[in-house]
Amino acid sequence: MSAEEKPAAQANGNSAAENSAAENSTTANSTAANSTTGKAALAVTGLSVAYGNVVAVHDATFTVAEGDACAIVGPNGNGKSSILMGVTGMIRRRGAVEIFGAHAKNGDVKWAARHGLTLVPERRQLYPELTAEDNIILGCYTWTRSIGKARRSDAYGRAIGLFPELKPHLKQLAGTLSGGQQQMVAIARGLAADPKILAVDEPCLGLAEAIAKRVYDVLAEIHGAGTTLIVVEEAPRRALTLCNKRVEVRNGMTLHARGDNPPFPPTVVTA
Amino acid sequence: MKFGNLLIAGITTGSIYAMFAVCVSVWYRVSNILNLAVGDFAMVGALGVDNLYRVKGLPLPVAIITTLVVVAVFAYLYDQVVLRIAQDGRRPIEGIVITFFFTFALSFFIDGVAKVLFGTDVHAAPTLWSGPSLTLGSLNFERSGILVLACAIIIGGAFWLYIKFTLGGKALEASGENSVGARIVGIDTRQYRRLIFIGTAVIAAVFGIVESPITGFTYLSGATISLTGFIAAAYGGFRKPGRALVAGLFIGVLEAMLGGYVSAEFGDTVLYAILAAAILAWPRALGFESAVSG
Repeated sequence: MSAEEKPAAQANGNSAAENSAAENSTTANSTAANSTTGKAALAVTGLSVAYGNVVAVHDATFTVAEGDACAIVGPNGNGKSSILMGVTGMIRRRGAVEIFGAHAKNGDVKWAARHGLTLVPERRQLYPELTAEDNIILGCYTWTRSIGKARRSDAYGRAIGLFPELKPHLKQLAGTLSGGQQQMVAIARGLAADPKILAVDEPCLGLAEAIAKRVYDVLAEIHGAGTTLIVVEEAPRRALTLCNKRVEVRNGMTLHARGDNPPFPPTVVTA
Repeated sequence: MKFGNLLIAGITTGSIYAMFAVCVSVWYRVSNILNLAVGDFAMVGALGVDNLYRVKGLPLPVAIITTLVVVAVFAYLYDQVVLRIAQDGRRPIEGIVITFFFTFALSFFIDGVAKVLFGTDVHAAPTLWSGPSLTLGSLNFERSGILVLACAIIIGGAFWLYIKFTLGGKALEASGENSVGARIVGIDTRQYRRLIFIGTAVIAAVFGIVESPITGFTYLSGATISLTGFIAAAYGGFRKPGRALVAGLFIGVLEAMLGGYVSAEFGDTVLYAILAAAILAWPRALGFESAVSG
């Protein structure tokens, strides 16, 4: 089963083309942007993730260059989220993960966060009985223990500033916010960690179309400011308006493919 | 001024219940384990100080510090050995077994060791602030009672400040609210589990030391204390230290009033009947529904 990596850029583009990537609403295959010149922000080699005896991801290999916006697409239950969980260290994995060239420790979320990779998880995983503000500021826990330092930091200020619509709700308990507001709090919490790579898992799950669009506008803004993005998305059409590169996941397990010539048929490994 | 004196007595015992209830619910939030041994740490505090001071003849401050250090080290080892294997391994134990079994076993273990070390008689740590009780009009204030209240206010206040105004305190709350969400921002929930377990064990021991002159302790007193703290904590669904505190105070005052006005003999029976009736009448308002649904 397969994850195909389709580097969007076949042509030798320049940095001007790179800037237009976010606005370019074509599919990954035809996107003209070229980001392969950037160094690898995230390199995943032979990643496997299993829950007990059930293999969710098998032997996935892909790279995300610095400045990329990469979509991980594929049907439900095919291991997209498991890739992110394994890469960020939320669950244990096999295979190698490098973040900006440094070999990532297995199962160490804090290490990944300190080295710039932050996860905005599926279903948001907020703290429902803490205020929205406390939820966001806890993103800073990855790099500080001082609440004063966290409040004064650029990362926190930027996280709050990106969502003017959250301003009146900052003192409200996160569990009482609407789904869209909760998603924004989750993204803001991710930004408070001051990430170089932001990995967002199903950002629009269960959101109305207008809210989903707003979420993607914010993601585009974050990407535009220079943060490398990885978006797991069940609906590829939405993701590919933003992303210049995609990793396709099929049938729960993944087969790595590179360049033009994906090795088909996919190898199947039974769980 | 019977009412006033009963109220003072009730608030004093209530503050003890409240502290143990807070200890139980704070740790449950972080670890999802009910600490049924919290009262046993209080017993060890009281009888340990008594033993070192009266029998071994150590100076009182040395006896107190030694006892607290022993409690802290023991709590640390228990977490490192038992809880680490049970909860942090590749196959963590889940469900009802981890919720109460290991601390229940710990309670019996401590009782057994205490029986050998301290015997079966009633003892108490020496009064830290001795003298006749203070009077204000017709109200009597036991000095030990004032000490208990002062400890409760200082420790409770410090904890409240920690939760409200530090990032560490918020992280502690977050790890109780959503352990997956906590790991995402790099919060080490095991570290908080260990910290709170050792902290509550030491706090329980402190309360045992200041409280024991009022009630006296045997090696079996721990279970009763744990039980009352446990019941008060249940009124916050085991997750809300604030409610547990109010419930603890309320139970203390109600117990004193029933003992004074209704019957000293059947006070406890009536108390638990009222508590049970309250749960049946207002399950949601008292936090019992959330305790059921997790």
